[in-house]
Amino acid sequence: MRRRKFFTTGAIFSAYLSIWPASLLAGWSEKNFQRCTIEQAFVNAFGAREPVRSDKITIVAPPVAADGSAVPVQVISSLKGEEIYLFVEKNITPLVFKCTLKGNALPWFSLNVKMKESSALYAVVKEGGDYFMTSVHVDVLAQAC
Amino acid sequence: MSGIVRILAREESGIVQVKIIIPHPNESGTRKDELGIVVPAHFVREGSVKVNGAALLDIELGPSVSTDPFLQIRFPGKKGDVLNVTFLDNRNELFTAEAVVQ
Repeated sequence: MRRRKFFTTGAIFSAYLSIWPASLLAGWSEKNFQRCTIEQAFVNAFGAREPVRSDKITIVAPPVAADGSAVPVQVISSLKGEEIYLFVEKNITPLVFKCTLKGNALPWFSLNVKMKESSALYAVVKEGGDYFMTSVHVDVLAQAC
Repeated sequence: MSGIVRILAREESGIVQVKIIIPHPNESGTRKDELGIVVPAHFVREGSVKVNGAALLDIELGPSVSTDPFLQIRFPGKKGDVLNVTFLDNRNELFTAEAVVQ
């Protein structure tokens, strides 16, 4: 029957559509990107492990940002990092990004970040199962969220 | 809604610097419009970058990324390397682009 055939192909096609884009990428962790405090965001991302302060990570950001809707932030590390995280303490969702380095990508990452208000930024780099971090403070004159 | 992802890849003394701009409203889901109604969340959530077919990095993004996300990455490479970039937003809209390192 023609109609039945149409339904089956339709079902297969929609299943394919729903699976394909999701399986193409690693998958987004809802838990990491919760609305919570910075302490809770750290626990969500790293569990019981606490990041150790290190001078091998650098955050390049303007000390005073005129516009909080796009603050250019660079995270540079001399560690051979596996993962890079960036947190904005006062944002509703503190975690900005989690970057998993594969192949020969350098631990160098730059992104324009939205900032709700003046806040500390934390960059965390994972190397060999340990987490290292550094922080800077950015003052925001015009807020965005 | 979906525009074209722009990629600029330049090689200089063995290091390729890649600039990626994704045209996207990137609404965090916490902003209110002029009438005080919360604008629903619509932001780029995840992405991956491949060089010559091999994975270079995966990224998960939160809502606190600016409108039209602008990313920059670096890797050791050469002119002629082919970059493939894929991004997915929270409405399952797919953004892809390909570029050759200059």
